[in-house]
Amino acid sequence: MTTKARGRALISRAIQSGLTLWVLATIIWLMFRLLPGDPTTALLGTGQLPPDAVARLRAEWRLDDPMGAQYLRYLGNLLTGEFGLSFTFRQPATEVLAPALVNTLILMAPATAISVVGGVLLGAWLGWRRGGAAEFGGALLVLVLRSLPAFWIGIVLLMAFSYSLGWFPIGGIRTPAFFPETWWEELPGFDFLRHLVLPVTAAVLYFLADPLMIMRTSMLEARTEDYISYAEARGLPDRRVRRIARRNAMLPVVTYVGIMVSFAFGGQILIEMVFSWPGMGRLMVESVTQRDYPVAQAAFLLMAAIVVVVNFLVDLLYALLDPRIRDA
Amino acid sequence: MPERGFLGFTTLSGRVGLGLFLAFCLIALAAPALAPLDPLAINYDASGGMQRMRPPGGDFPLGTNYYGRDILSQIIAGSRVSIGVGLLSALIIVFIGANVGLFAGYFRGWVDALLMRLTDIAFGIPFFPFAVLLVALLEPSIWNMVLTISCLLWRSVARVVRSQALSLRERPYIRAAQVAGASDLRVMYVHILPNLMPMVLLYTAIGIAYAVLSEASLSFLGFGDPSLVSWGSMLYDAYVTGSISRAWWWTVPPGLCITLFVISVFLMARDWELIANPRLAR
Repeated sequence: MTTKARGRALISRAIQSGLTLWVLATIIWLMFRLLPGDPTTALLGTGQLPPDAVARLRAEWRLDDPMGAQYLRYLGNLLTGEFGLSFTFRQPATEVLAPALVNTLILMAPATAISVVGGVLLGAWLGWRRGGAAEFGGALLVLVLRSLPAFWIGIVLLMAFSYSLGWFPIGGIRTPAFFPETWWEELPGFDFLRHLVLPVTAAVLYFLADPLMIMRTSMLEARTEDYISYAEARGLPDRRVRRIARRNAMLPVVTYVGIMVSFAFGGQILIEMVFSWPGMGRLMVESVTQRDYPVAQAAFLLMAAIVVVVNFLVDLLYALLDPRIRDA
Repeated sequence: MPERGFLGFTTLSGRVGLGLFLAFCLIALAAPALAPLDPLAINYDASGGMQRMRPPGGDFPLGTNYYGRDILSQIIAGSRVSIGVGLLSALIIVFIGANVGLFAGYFRGWVDALLMRLTDIAFGIPFFPFAVLLVALLEPSIWNMVLTISCLLWRSVARVVRSQALSLRERPYIRAAQVAGASDLRVMYVHILPNLMPMVLLYTAIGIAYAVLSEASLSFLGFGDPSLVSWGSMLYDAYVTGSISRAWWWTVPPGLCITLFVISVFLMARDWELIANPRLAR
């Protein structure tokens, strides 16, 4: 591929990402507008407000404008980062969302990092030992991890380590009015880290299966490649050969990271709910149940935007990592 | 060429998966006859006290829950909703996905471009957050649950079937059929689709697994039909009543059933994968 062709591919990929976001925004708009009821019923409860007040609100929010005009205004607002006022918190949805986004990233970043690195290392180790107990054990581990529901992992961890053993708090992000009793409890961040352990463990157990499986398969395939036979023939020690195989086998895992982020938000929602973690997923579920639509909509669009952007970046990274794409 | 085995199940693990899967399906089919008690009835003892949070034993082999309902009966009744939603969603996922892929791969050109851009967009949508929004906005019912689960997950089937159809349509026997005057639809459904069956079966199995997990997850968030019991909604009840602190007999069985059922489906899928992709069998 020439530089020019690569530039074109990049631009078309960027256009495609933008298109996806636009379609998503439109679907969300349609979903919230075409359903029975309008924001006045959601905000005020049916029949609790005199008709003239409803009419005044409708006029104020310009709900009687033609649908097309409302749609264009909505898109314009999105582009300027305007998501409307939260019905429950009475402040801009973006302000409600910002701390939740931070909390989500605090949980998701270590969980995805640990599962990708752990999956690569464990998968490489299992893939290097074909046959025998390691292969069987690896296959069984992947099978069980893929089949466990994310929220149930959380429930079981809570039952074992919080309710039975009492080692970790049952949820939330920090203990209100926390009084350290021993010297280690006085260490900065102790209480916060104690809250982080179980949700991160649950998330890692949930995310680990796919990178592990992909790496294991890819490693099994790499074993049969000529460059590995060559490395072995050169008399390199097993550790060096394995490192060569591992670096080459990692490419499919890199591609997978894009998919993983999309899928990670799913597990994230469930894990935040189980551990009462005040993140974006929990905010979305709670706001949609309380019919706080501006917040639900903003939370979803933000997750979708993150997924689209990460996928785009992964494509760029992939082109950098794979010399067959980079230099060809 | 591996031996075909029974329904393509050549390995022990595949047969174990099939056995487990059929056992679950039989329980789901016979649920009303098998459940010892009414899963939604509140049980009282002789003196009129509610039989709440009873550990396993006596009249209740798996104990009772916070509302005095029999957990074994709920597990049996819940298998219907969980497995039913899973199977139905998987059928719809594969039906849509296979058709989209077949049309795109066979006709190529603008049909392909249109359908594949649609598929790309479906891939750009984070599935579970979208499902939460959709299922929360619709009325809670198992039909809306099926609709929610299947409206995005057809995307991977479409991609795989398309790439297969693209290569199959260039084969000489397809040319022969076309020259002999077979219509496009006949070529697609009679000559191409049967060759994709192992692939379609494989994706049906994966679809069942994802659909069952999605149903359980959405029900755990409280978006299930409140008048029906499913494994996910049992865990929702256990969680919101704060019972996970003590009632292991309430939280362990539903989670275990979900996991075992999904394992059974993945075990079957592994064997179909060997047929669909013989390179793995070496």
